[in-house]
Amino acid sequence: MLTMTDVKKVFRTDLIETHALRDFNLQVDEGEFVAVTGPSGSGKTTFLNIAGLLETFEGGTYQLDGQNVSHLNDRQRSQLRNEKIGFIFQSFNLIPDLNLFDNVDVPLRYRGFKRNERKKRIEESLELVGLANRMKHLPSQLSGGQQQRVAIARALAGNPRFLLADEPTGNLDTKMALSVLELLKQINQQGTTIVMVTHDQHLASQAKRNIYVRDGQVSEMSGIAEPAHIEMHQAAIG
Amino acid sequence: MSSNQWEIGPIFRALMRNKVGAILIAIQIAVTMTIVVNSIFIILERAQRIERDSGIDEVNSFYLTTTGFGENFDPKSTAFNDLELIRNTPGVLDAIQINAIPVSGSGWSMSFQTEPGEEKETQGGAIYMVDEHAIDALDLEVIAGENFLPIDVRFRQPGVRDWPDNVLITKVLAESLFPDTPYQNVVGKTIYISQTEPMIVKGIVDKIQAPWVGWDDLEHTVLTPEITGFESNRYYVRAQAGQRDAIMPVIEEALASSNKQRIIRGMRTVQETRERSYRGDTAMIKILSTTMVILTIVTGLGIVGLASFSVNRRKKQIGTRRALGASQGSIVRYFMIENFLISTVGVSLGAALTVILNMLLVEMFSLNALDWYFVPAGMIVLWVVGQLAVFGPAKKAATIPPAMATRTV
Ligand SMILES: Nc1ncnc2c1ncn2[C@@H]1O[C@H](COP(=O)(O)OP(=O)(O)OP(=O)(O)O)[C@@H](O)[C@H]1O
Ligand SMILES: [Mg+2]
Repeated sequence: MLTMTDVKKVFRTDLIETHALRDFNLQVDEGEFVAVTGPSGSGKTTFLNIAGLLETFEGGTYQLDGQNVSHLNDRQRSQLRNEKIGFIFQSFNLIPDLNLFDNVDVPLRYRGFKRNERKKRIEESLELVGLANRMKHLPSQLSGGQQQRVAIARALAGNPRFLLADEPTGNLDTKMALSVLELLKQINQQGTTIVMVTHDQHLASQAKRNIYVRDGQVSEMSGIAEPAHIEMHQAAIG
Repeated sequence: MSSNQWEIGPIFRALMRNKVGAILIAIQIAVTMTIVVNSIFIILERAQRIERDSGIDEVNSFYLTTTGFGENFDPKSTAFNDLELIRNTPGVLDAIQINAIPVSGSGWSMSFQTEPGEEKETQGGAIYMVDEHAIDALDLEVIAGENFLPIDVRFRQPGVRDWPDNVLITKVLAESLFPDTPYQNVVGKTIYISQTEPMIVKGIVDKIQAPWVGWDDLEHTVLTPEITGFESNRYYVRAQAGQRDAIMPVIEEALASSNKQRIIRGMRTVQETRERSYRGDTAMIKILSTTMVILTIVTGLGIVGLASFSVNRRKKQIGTRRALGASQGSIVRYFMIENFLISTVGVSLGAALTVILNMLLVEMFSLNALDWYFVPAGMIVLWVVGQLAVFGPAKKAATIPPAMATRTV
């Protein structure tokens, strides 16, 4: 589904070379919910950017949905991003000048869907995140949690195979973070593969699978979840 | 590519939330269009004025004035001797004595009418007093009737008030005087000068302008056959091709030494005279062209500035759009369409302002009304200027990497 073999990424500036990823190996299968943790600067975002075709890489191979993406041009990569991948960002990245409807519409237009198809998908996905009645609102009129829900609706509207999230709850308080996580779990249950970078061990432990990134390499972990503790959190949000 | 990807609706709605910059640029476009279109219209009109053919061989001709003094100065013999001297100078094609120079700005005019008496309809006409050499010296053509004969040419003393019996008139004057008669048939007809004095039209010449370039009836011209005996007389010389500059000093010198009882002054080429007469028009064209170019450049830079500013401000948004699947082309297109929408508001307002300014100019300076097609042409030009100006910033926006979306800055 998503297979990285010995992927390397080096950032070069005038003074230094940063080996953000070195021989990065990972396989994510269909339907998984993977949480990625690791120290700051370990390469989590770099990995996610490469996985989401936002960035190119130097060595190794990357197969997305069975397709080797190393040799695609910018246009093909854009199209693949649009069709197969949904992005969720730490700071939501909604377009401030567009209302919720138009925000969710953005990737659908790049997809080339017809007007009615777009309208249907926008309404459905805003419905899913519980904001169908706010379609004409601007992002600035919503709370952070609501904004992230809109971003999730935008990411889902095109029915992507993958949802990639870089610290989706990083800017949210615990309560809102948990409700976003619930939403992601629900989406995952409906079949979308999710890879989520997070700093929060409690959130990470609720994913089906945890990987730990360190110095640009993967070291897999499992079994650190503490169910009792998390259920207590969930109880707290009602 | 489907029309969904054009994003006109969202671009417009986003623009409406950031109106100020866009409105300022739209106004700038409108003002630029107003001034550019009216300027071009005025420039073209002036250029057309300047380009009008005077009918004479301007390039090879020059003129000078001789003024006699002293007891023994005899205007009549001087004139005949001078003309003989000039005409026999090598390099001269022909020469005449003439009372005024076409295009020069000063001359004589009289009223002409087809019936004698007061309160008849008249036509103004410039008078050139010349002899039978005028046709060759001025490079005219007698297109009906005949040229003067030497016998037609009289000597006009100072103080004489009457006029010769035979005249040549231009085709345009013939048609103005006799609107219902083909100009050929005007030959032989009698016209009246000073209300009652008859003259017979001996011939029709193709074209020669009056001295006053701003006059509406610029081609109303009458040639009367006479040599004048005034204190000051003017000679008009047409050189053989390419000889003008060489013979000017020769003739000046020959005249000066042939008769010491006069001074020679005001020698000037017809080309220079034309330049002086149209100096105002030429200056106007230069000023308007410069204004136009500067204004267009400033507007172009304004568009570049606004677009660059908004690209910088929207870096994250552009990265996000790329992350969501926008190709580089989509990003370029976004800014091009945004500019097109701003320009459309600008040129629509500009179309109205253009017409209003033209109406004011017509009202206040009695300029002509703008031809309608100047307005759409101006709109297209400013649309194109806008698209060219925004293309650079749009290309730059397209190079913003998709990974910009995940950068936490
Ligand atoms: N565009 C870039 N240019 C240069 N260096 C970069 C760039 N992006 C990332 N890096 C470097 O690559 C390394 C990995 O960065 P990355 O952003 O992937 O880490 P991270 O695990 O996401 O960190 P954090 O938890 O702080 O978000 C860091 O040392 C970082 O400084
Ligand atoms: Mg990161």
